[in-house]
Amino acid sequence: MNYKRFIVYQGTVGMAASMIFPFYILLIKNVGTSYSQFGWAYGIFSLTAALFYPLIGKITDKAGDKAFLLIYSWGMALILLAFPLAYEIWHVYLLQIIMGILGAIQKNTEKTVLARYVTKATAGKEIGNYHVWTSIGAAAAVIATGYLVDFLTIGSIFYLASLLFAWSGFQIMKMDQAASLSVEE
Amino acid sequence: MRFIMKRYIFAILYSIIFGLSLHAFHFKLNHPIAEDISRLMPVKMKAIKAEDDEGALKKIVLEAKENDDPISIAGMQHSQGGQTLYPNGILLDMKNHNEILDLDVSEKRITVQSGATWADVQEYINPYGLALKVSQSQNIFTIGGSLSVNVHGRDIRHHALIETVESFRLLDAKGQILTVSRKENSELFSAVIGGYGLFGIILDVTLHLTDDELYQIKTKSLHYEEYTSYFKKEVLQNSEVKMHLARISVAPGSYLDEMYVTDYYEANDQTKLPAYNALKRETIVAVPKFFLGLSRYNDWGKEQFWKIQESYTAKLNGTMISRNNVMRSDSAFMDYSNPSKTEVLQEYFVPVDQFADYIDDLRNVLTDEKDFNLLNITIRYVEQNDESLLSYAKDDMFALVMLINQGTDDKGKQHAEKVIRSMIDVALTHDGSYYLPYYGYPTKAQFNEAYPHAVEFFHLKKKYDHDDRFMNLFYKEYHP
Repeated sequence: MNYKRFIVYQGTVGMAASMIFPFYILLIKNVGTSYSQFGWAYGIFSLTAALFYPLIGKITDKAGDKAFLLIYSWGMALILLAFPLAYEIWHVYLLQIIMGILGAIQKNTEKTVLARYVTKATAGKEIGNYHVWTSIGAAAAVIATGYLVDFLTIGSIFYLASLLFAWSGFQIMKMDQAASLSVEE
Repeated sequence: MRFIMKRYIFAILYSIIFGLSLHAFHFKLNHPIAEDISRLMPVKMKAIKAEDDEGALKKIVLEAKENDDPISIAGMQHSQGGQTLYPNGILLDMKNHNEILDLDVSEKRITVQSGATWADVQEYINPYGLALKVSQSQNIFTIGGSLSVNVHGRDIRHHALIETVESFRLLDAKGQILTVSRKENSELFSAVIGGYGLFGIILDVTLHLTDDELYQIKTKSLHYEEYTSYFKKEVLQNSEVKMHLARISVAPGSYLDEMYVTDYYEANDQTKLPAYNALKRETIVAVPKFFLGLSRYNDWGKEQFWKIQESYTAKLNGTMISRNNVMRSDSAFMDYSNPSKTEVLQEYFVPVDQFADYIDDLRNVLTDEKDFNLLNITIRYVEQNDESLLSYAKDDMFALVMLINQGTDDKGKQHAEKVIRSMIDVALTHDGSYYLPYYGYPTKAQFNEAYPHAVEFFHLKKKYDHDDRFMNLFYKEYHP
């Protein structure tokens, strides 16, 4: 049950993230004025992630995966509320730093949950299945958002994605307190 | 129980932050920041509005009148002196008002809405074998914007754009639509064309066209002292030459000395036109962009850029090109997006006979300005025309367009201001003038000297737009 929930959760945050990732470049384009600033915005994102991975890894083993998924969901829900308000390039840099940390949390935790759950012999099949559902969620979100931007503004996409992250945060909170995600059914 | 409480607190906190963010976003949307191509002065506008319908445009004017909001009219926003901007005003983006209304092929006359670009018009008329009489060298600008700055181009037989205008319709400050021509409301004809959007919204324009023709390009290198006599004898007096363009070097080794000219001769065999009249598209811009980029960087780069320009032009010698294609020069390679620097234009008009003396004086001014990053000078010709009140062509003039790379910070602006004011003085000493669509570096005194009819212009502004409905930063800077 818990693992299924995890897939639903990953599907939801995957959808929310895919809603904004291809499109938030449009927002940065309105803010930034040059390609070099673009490069920096993305470079900063990856660099902060790189710096935080070791720390995140160490703590997950002690604190448990759930706590990190919670931080990720609520962190994203809140940071996305700040994105539409950015109007200077340093705002974007700052947001990218926070996004870098949150992105690292998500990537690492996704993998630790999988690593703790799957059995080694059938790992390929299980992870393959996992990716099917999360990818379908992401694809549906990207395509639907493309149409949504035609009706709504790029700003409203951030608010929608924020609501999705908030909902995913509640899902994590709702999970049985005692049950750790890594415990098999 | 504790767990449910915690979720409630989360939900409430999140809702509050969500609401605050939405509120701030709404406020931001209501106070858009607009800027022109120079990026030198972002201005907070009250609203940005775009309409394609005459009734809706009228409504905007009447509403603005009721709320006493200033309106700034914008096309492509390539004017660099805030001609399309005014703090807390309504920016009226005309680009959607862009239909071609009528083409009379036998009379060679077109009526077009003001938000259409020259590119739109060219695509429409090219199949009929027609061409524009006057436009800029590039075709990316709107008709309304071009009228408001009264452009000129490479044609040496037709001059300022105003010559080719039969009439236009103007939506004035009272919300009335007036037909303006040399016979009807003629006072407005010379005020609105070259009037920087200060009298009302140009809705549509009727322009005279000419035949598309086949030209043969002839190029030649020469020194600046030879240019005036060459131009008078070989270009102006030779009726076969229809268009002309020259460049003078800004590379250290040949600084303000070496030139090359490009003349467009009417081709002997016009039946070959169909082989050349397909409208050319902008090709890969990587090479010119790279060399322009090098020239921004240092003197060595400037030498390379000059060499490449010269050899490219030499290669064009003898080739054929249609008139429409001459009037759609590349522009994408000049796009520039450095965050701390920008590129501004200047244009100086100098009587043909004073050219060599003018260049000597200009060189004197600029030799002391090692940090002034001048990238290119293009020279064209414009004949005397004082139909527009703010006419720059007080005499038969060479028009020198300068491309300047400068910092966007205060230091960069101050330095550019100092040099540009000196350059304007040089032009004025030689009975010349300067072009108005650029950044507000010139002093009020320089403006008044270059534009002796400015008093009359501002007087008419008060007469037709007493409440200053149509406003921009250019007016704010230079009105009496």
